[in-house]
Amino acid sequence: MPPNNITDHRVVVRVPSDSDDVRTAASEGDANVVAVGRTGIPDLEPLVTVTIEGRTALYPNCPPDQAADIATDITDGTLDEGAAVIEHDPDAASFPAAAVRGLDLGTRRVLGGCGWRRPASAADHEAEGGFVDVSPNDVLDAAETLRGRGWGDWRHDDRVADDWRRLRDDEHTAAVVVNAHAAVDGLLLESAPLEVLEGAQLAAQVVGAEKVVVYVSEDDERAVTRTRKAADAYPDPVAPVDVVTGPSAYRAAEPTMVLEAIEGNHRLEARLRPPGSSAPTLHETPALVHTARTLAQLAVAVRTGTPPTRLVTVSGDVESPATVELPESDRLADALAAVTLVDGFKAACVGGRFGGLTPSLDVAADPDALADADLGTEGTVEVLGETRCVLEFVGKRTQFAAETNCGRCVPCREGSTQLTELLRDVYDGDYDAEGIEELTRVMDASSVCEFGVVAGRPARTTLDAFDAEVAAHADGRCPTGTCFDAPEVTH
Amino acid sequence: MSSQHTQDVPPLTETIAPGTATDPDVTSTETETITVDGTEVTVAAGSTLLDAVEAVDTDDQVAALCHYGREDIGPRSTCRTCMVDTDAHGLVPACSTPAEDGLVVDTDTETATEARDVNLDLVLSNHNLRCTTCGKNGRCELQDAAIDNGVEEPRYGVFDDRGAYEPIDDSSSFIQIDRNKCILCNRCVEACNDVQVEGVLRVEGTGADTRIGFQSGVETMEESTCVSCGHCATVCPTGSLVETDIADAATIQLPGFTQKNSIGKTYESSTTSKGPMTPKKGEERTEREQSTETERARESTVDEREGWP
Repeated sequence: MPPNNITDHRVVVRVPSDSDDVRTAASEGDANVVAVGRTGIPDLEPLVTVTIEGRTALYPNCPPDQAADIATDITDGTLDEGAAVIEHDPDAASFPAAAVRGLDLGTRRVLGGCGWRRPASAADHEAEGGFVDVSPNDVLDAAETLRGRGWGDWRHDDRVADDWRRLRDDEHTAAVVVNAHAAVDGLLLESAPLEVLEGAQLAAQVVGAEKVVVYVSEDDERAVTRTRKAADAYPDPVAPVDVVTGPSAYRAAEPTMVLEAIEGNHRLEARLRPPGSSAPTLHETPALVHTARTLAQLAVAVRTGTPPTRLVTVSGDVESPATVELPESDRLADALAAVTLVDGFKAACVGGRFGGLTPSLDVAADPDALADADLGTEGTVEVLGETRCVLEFVGKRTQFAAETNCGRCVPCREGSTQLTELLRDVYDGDYDAEGIEELTRVMDASSVCEFGVVAGRPARTTLDAFDAEVAAHADGRCPTGTCFDAPEVTH
Repeated sequence: MSSQHTQDVPPLTETIAPGTATDPDVTSTETETITVDGTEVTVAAGSTLLDAVEAVDTDDQVAALCHYGREDIGPRSTCRTCMVDTDAHGLVPACSTPAEDGLVVDTDTETATEARDVNLDLVLSNHNLRCTTCGKNGRCELQDAAIDNGVEEPRYGVFDDRGAYEPIDDSSSFIQIDRNKCILCNRCVEACNDVQVEGVLRVEGTGADTRIGFQSGVETMEESTCVSCGHCATVCPTGSLVETDIADAATIQLPGFTQKNSIGKTYESSTTSKGPMTPKKGEERTEREQSTETERARESTVDEREGWP
């Protein structure tokens, strides 16, 4: 292995690989400067850090000239005590907890490499204990409690190990498909691709897959190049790695459409998924489809045996979005500490673009608690500020479903169109709560794929939690003053 | 089929791009015995739950509108008017669920009936219901299903916005297309591609813009590579694809009352003879193109939808 940036250098200056200016400026001196991926906290970027023997100074929002100064000053071998300095294990191969907003939350395991290890450096990943040599049984043991992460996972919220056991006995498994279409999966591929690839290799080892296919959005060029580089650096992979791009459209993350895209269909629509245990197929051969998140969790679980965590991205009416990693027992509300609200907190759309609306984030991040609360498990918390109208939000979200669904099945295609109309009718004084509930129930129960299953969730949960606000619109009044033109003043 | 390919000759289907997904086999591998509404039914290998449902006198109507069940066409499982309740899997589409030994199927539970009724009404919501000018009046599967299910006033109305109607495509001498009556069952696409192997029709578009179009990218039947075999019209459950001469067959005999003016817009034939040959094939666009600007705009501005409310 070439030198790593964890134990093989006394001084390490970490600069963001996304920021060419900062990187170039810092590299002018003689310091050991390495380029790392995003941390998940864009508010801090560009973030430059300097590590010397178990102490790290952090320089958030670091302009190029400051980066150049930092790299020059460090040649004397001492830290600038004026900066925020954190103490940590000198051999820390994951970003240590830091008293900087966003980096002080939860626990960074899956995100550990992000902003700390070089994305495509096998040496750095090995310093973390990566590339473990384990038997398929060990992998299955570690995966026993692992559940699929995100709607892009064939086993979303379900145990993954059962499929793996079944396919293990199958004569031929085509591929482990890594679905990295969602933004958070793209973050992992950009910043810690070896974590994802190791998870994929471990799964490939269990089921005897002949290749790993990493699927990313055509818009995510950085993820494509980093993954290719990381795959080239991967020591002795059990299965070769292909990187394939699909359309950037939201629906293109649905697992059956992922397979359609990889097979090269020019038009993406959902495949049927008969009930029971059937495995996905790629080119008519059994395959696995898991998200990058699921596989990174596997790699961490195999290596450390630590309990699973949840990646939570807070966005919406906030100054800057943030992605943090929480233990499953932590509440979603805890993630709010990573952001600055710009308009207070009225509600959040939790669990994907078609998540559930809730006025309270006092719910644990684990999938069962979220399901009980009729919220989604996608790991997203989209904040709606005090002045936001929930009916407007949910109307537009439903309209989005009507415009971007694949068009295959009636409950999703026609259902989302009619649901949009029912929500629009509220403005004309016709608030048919029962009709809306009936329609969302049928969309949920009879759509072909998860797009349609959840497309009615924003509307359904809004009626539950914000009935009075919706009803006010039927009386010609929008409590937030968003929806109607200002009333004419009469004397 | 693949065993017959040689290295030099690409498979015949290579340039056929119907725009549909590759579904898994959804039939049973063995003979299975299941219970439908209390009656035991044994069905042969290669059966779905719908085969069993159709074998008994069910407690409730199961329309299974898009189902064809012949010539290996379908199951497309798009309309979801065949939803039934099962003890093992809950609510499932009967047409695309393999028959499974010991399964108990109920057609008249509240959730199953609701799903079928709502989905049938959703189909009607996007169907031009001017039956009195339709050539298929009286022999229309959608009309039959609506009557059988006692639909009097569909929940979501019917497709009645003349401004939103697509022109009738009357450009071909043989087959007329009225997309305002299309329920997107996909039978025509499968007949054209999988049975006749002509590669003319395809599904295109997404969401409300999903429609039956032509693989050569042209707009009308006349310009298409259609060989006028008529299989699409044979399998069409509604008045969407009909033989030209009977397009007006069932129209009420009233002056000025025609099928065409019920829609108001028509693509007529250019009257230039195509000659004996159909246009050359081979211009099929099978490659996935990069997302267009419109698609990107539609996807990216989630919360800036135009025209709300």
